[in-house]
Amino acid sequence: MSEALTPEEENRVLAAEYTLRLMTSEEERAFELRLAEDRALERDVADWVAHFADLADEYMPVVPPKALKARLTTDLFGATDKSTSLWSRLGLWQGFSLAATAAAAVMAVMLITQPAPQVPTSGPLFVSEIAAEDDSLRVLAVYDGATGGLRLTATAGQAETGRDFELWAIVGDNPPRSLGVLTDDGTGNILLPDDLQGAVGGMVLAISDEPDGGSTTGAPTGAVLAVGQVTDL
Amino acid sequence: MTTIADIDKMISRVALGDRSAFSDLYDATSAKLFGVALRVLNNTASAEDVLQETYMKIWRYADRYASNGMSPMTWLITIARNTAIDRLRATKQTDDIADVEDRMAASGPTPEQSAIAGSEAARIVGCLDELPDDRRAAVRGAYLEGDSYADLAAKFDVPLNTMRTWLRRSLIALRECMTQ
Repeated sequence: MSEALTPEEENRVLAAEYTLRLMTSEEERAFELRLAEDRALERDVADWVAHFADLADEYMPVVPPKALKARLTTDLFGATDKSTSLWSRLGLWQGFSLAATAAAAVMAVMLITQPAPQVPTSGPLFVSEIAAEDDSLRVLAVYDGATGGLRLTATAGQAETGRDFELWAIVGDNPPRSLGVLTDDGTGNILLPDDLQGAVGGMVLAISDEPDGGSTTGAPTGAVLAVGQVTDL
Repeated sequence: MTTIADIDKMISRVALGDRSAFSDLYDATSAKLFGVALRVLNNTASAEDVLQETYMKIWRYADRYASNGMSPMTWLITIARNTAIDRLRATKQTDDIADVEDRMAASGPTPEQSAIAGSEAARIVGCLDELPDDRRAAVRGAYLEGDSYADLAAKFDVPLNTMRTWLRRSLIALRECMTQ
């Protein structure tokens, strides 16, 4: 039947097939090459899109799970936005519930008050729970603005024999910077470099799986196991 | 109440990098676009991924919207549908139907979303009604479920070339009907 079509009619049918996505991907690519240079063809496609749009009424709206929006926002914008409040920032933490936040805050206070009661802190406090999506690894990080010290405690997970957990700081779009390797019992006491101390509020901490003693390249070489956003306490 | 003009304005603001407009746009339109992804994919997990990818594209390409002359919902739905069909072609797995139906029963649209969904008079529906039943079903399947010629040939148990001929004839008839 196609022999009965004029070239214009043939183009309109092709435009409809393209709009409906009936073509194979090879045919789609070939059609798109023509489309880029043919305004009439482009109009044919636009007409079909508008015609078929009426059928879209039959797509029944379904409210997506709430967590999807948080995931989307984190993926697009990173976990923090300085202009938003702490509470909305908490909402953006990847894989991080409010209950976990509260637990992290309580533990942070315990860490500061219990093992080192001789150090009354006066500077700003920051906390981060660096957690794997499946919670197989969770490390609590507490940063004391008065001393520049970052204290780490693993609450779940352990490096495999012959491997080490290495901690990385990521600020904005900069490449990760190594902050050192966690001890075998999953703790660490790290003095944050001066230039990172000012950026701690928007920082992301990550833990990667590295050979014994840490990465030798200056960048993570193994899998990034856990990620956490730093926020003020 | 969110109107089409509101959606239009939100997309224009998203094109300028306005994150709060993006958040509003998501709230107003995500149920419709999730519905599109679910219908095409029949799989909740894939539909969630596609919804995420769709809004990432919307954020990235919002500046192209103003110049393309489409209605805002058509533009959004086209992105969601194409993203879902790309995923469908890439994976070709459509189990999990019961899961989708459960979710559909559980969560209906909000009043705002219903208002957006109810669009202008549907001329194509009238023209589709003039087609024989099986051809109408084939065109609808191609649009709503993202079926390819091969899918449709299998569904209607006819040879691929027969399906291609059916569909092309139907599309010509539709086009004539709609330009009358």
